[in-house]
Amino acid sequence: MMKTSNRPDASARSRPSQSRRRGHRSPKSDVKVFSNLSHVALAVWALLVILPILWTFLASFKTNTEIFGDPLALPENYGWDAWGRAWEKARIGEYMLNSIIVVFFGTAGTMLLGSMAAYVLARYRFPGNRLIYLMFVSGLTFPIFLALVPLFLIVNNLGLLGTHTGLVLVYIAYSLPFTVFFLAAFFKTLPTSVAEAAMMDGCSHTRTFFQIMLPMAKPGMISITIFNVLGQWNQYLLPIVLLPGNVQDKWVLTQGIANISTNAGYEADWPGLFAALSMAIIPMIVVYVIFQRQIQSGLTSGAIK
Amino acid sequence: MASIVLRGVDKIYAGGVKAVNGLDLEIKDGEFMVLVGPSGCGKSTALRMIAGLEDISGGEIHIGDKVVNHLPPKDRDIAMVFQNYALYPHMTVEENLAFGLKLRKMPKAEIQRRVVEAANMLGLEGYLKRKPAALSGGQRQRVAMGRAIVREPRAFLMDEPLSNLDAKLRVSMRASLNQLHERLGVTTVYVTHDQVEAMTLGDRVCVLKDGVLQQVDTPQNLFDRPVNLFVAGFMGSPAMNFVTADLVRDGIAFANYRLPIPASTFTDKPGLGDYIGRKLIVGVRPSDFEDARSANGHNEGWARIPVRVSVTEELGSEINVLFTIDAPPVMHKDALALAQDAAGDEADGSLPLGGGKSLWTARVNSRSQVRPNQDLELVVDTHNLHFFDPESGLAIGHPANVRG
Repeated sequence: MMKTSNRPDASARSRPSQSRRRGHRSPKSDVKVFSNLSHVALAVWALLVILPILWTFLASFKTNTEIFGDPLALPENYGWDAWGRAWEKARIGEYMLNSIIVVFFGTAGTMLLGSMAAYVLARYRFPGNRLIYLMFVSGLTFPIFLALVPLFLIVNNLGLLGTHTGLVLVYIAYSLPFTVFFLAAFFKTLPTSVAEAAMMDGCSHTRTFFQIMLPMAKPGMISITIFNVLGQWNQYLLPIVLLPGNVQDKWVLTQGIANISTNAGYEADWPGLFAALSMAIIPMIVVYVIFQRQIQSGLTSGAIK
Repeated sequence: MASIVLRGVDKIYAGGVKAVNGLDLEIKDGEFMVLVGPSGCGKSTALRMIAGLEDISGGEIHIGDKVVNHLPPKDRDIAMVFQNYALYPHMTVEENLAFGLKLRKMPKAEIQRRVVEAANMLGLEGYLKRKPAALSGGQRQRVAMGRAIVREPRAFLMDEPLSNLDAKLRVSMRASLNQLHERLGVTTVYVTHDQVEAMTLGDRVCVLKDGVLQQVDTPQNLFDRPVNLFVAGFMGSPAMNFVTADLVRDGIAFANYRLPIPASTFTDKPGLGDYIGRKLIVGVRPSDFEDARSANGHNEGWARIPVRVSVTEELGSEINVLFTIDAPPVMHKDALALAQDAAGDEADGSLPLGGGKSLWTARVNSRSQVRPNQDLELVVDTHNLHFFDPESGLAIGHPANVRG
């Protein structure tokens, strides 16, 4: 649910620029038709994304009868009862804190390790460079389901089953392939002469990376951070394997939400479920808005000629 | 400050390409040395080896009295100005200038003093708080210079620092660079492919071709006494005219012209007499021509040649007169390399003339008011003819070649 509601946002953003670029090449009348069509498509897409979120949000104010009565009707009165129930009774508050902790350390670790690995793979020539890179990339093709049982056994052997540390480490490993793949391509586009200038100025390799190259890679870093935060926030499969039922106080948000619908059986608290969903969506929208403003193009402008 | 000495320096890239071949070069303390040559001649590679950005495949590089072959760039106490400036985009001008000093743990007051001093020297006082993106090309270039200056290094290395500026700015920056060198007196190695820059900036100029040193000398000596065909054709604009000619007892004959050679030339160029009755390559600088009508008075040693003008380039004070002569272009490998360099990357940059003709250029005073398709009588200063061996391309009678 959250996945489908968040991701089209990102693709919707890139679409107008694409159509505009394509439009430049064709004659004027074509441009007009095409740009009109693309606006229609974008509007439809926007509705497809916004309406379900809105509906989820409104449903959290309804009662069970209202939800099953007329799905399109507005709630009769706007009370925060369901939100309170979700926060307290379904322990969404607790789970959200767990999620925030796990995603924070997971993303931070992924970005730190991923950017360092990507930089070295993109910029230094050494035997085995290509092999390491390809091994990272092959991780992209590996379905997570195949790895679940060995993963469970390894984490169990390490004594990390049912701990946040275990989940964070698995998240990092899980997110690294795409992060390295993306950032290596990004680092390759940055001008080499700036790194050389830093070396002449007296930087070590480490300092060159952290003080010169990383700031220049900010747009790429932010894009991939958003991607990782969303991915790890929405992760459900890994937590249910690695944080089993006996450590319910360690659960993350997705487990908590699923629990509302599964545990309650026939007496499911649907308004509570929608309230919990809304609570899970809101932080992601906030993260997205904050970070998206930081993506500025042309951060390297002025570096070279 | 320090001298820089290169002894038999080689650079072999993976795949066996030899970018620099046995380069011997001595750059004196405080000297402004320009490395010049066509693209791909190894001049930038040589500079980057001095900087420590490229490994040295063979030979030794000394800076001061230390061998620096295995020293990392930061320990060589040199500063470099890059062709594309390579400023740190996320730092202000001030931070850009101070960065290298901070890394060297210099006291804050000293950093401040040097940054302000350099900013004043380069006229950057008003821009210290700006980021590079908010600067013009010329200002960025000056920041790049400033970053080198504040370090007060033993040597400056500059890799085509002016090539990204527009023509007018380039000329004024060239003058500023000259002043700066006068003032600071720091040993400077400067790489360029622009021979005008090389002539105007260098105390001495080092001409490279295919990674091999051709000649190192003062700009005037390079112009007056080039050691071979390549140097002769590369230095000077417009380029020297070449033709294959027969040397006879009292002069040279080519196309339908016959130019007398003053007796002094034979004494000045030992070995020239051996070529009598044989073919050699003759070079004539465009500036050694003059319109016969405006060349009254100095006729001694000036030979007249009538030509038909095909194109004129008016430069205000002078006119470049392009005309064809009835002789095939010189096919020596150096001459071909020069033609290729002039044409850029395109395989066939110049118009085919056909029929065994070659295009010459004469630079005459604008008073001559010559127009295309006119007949014109030119005079040639026969004292300044250059003679090259048709096989080796070496200048006949040049001291370096006579000894060898």
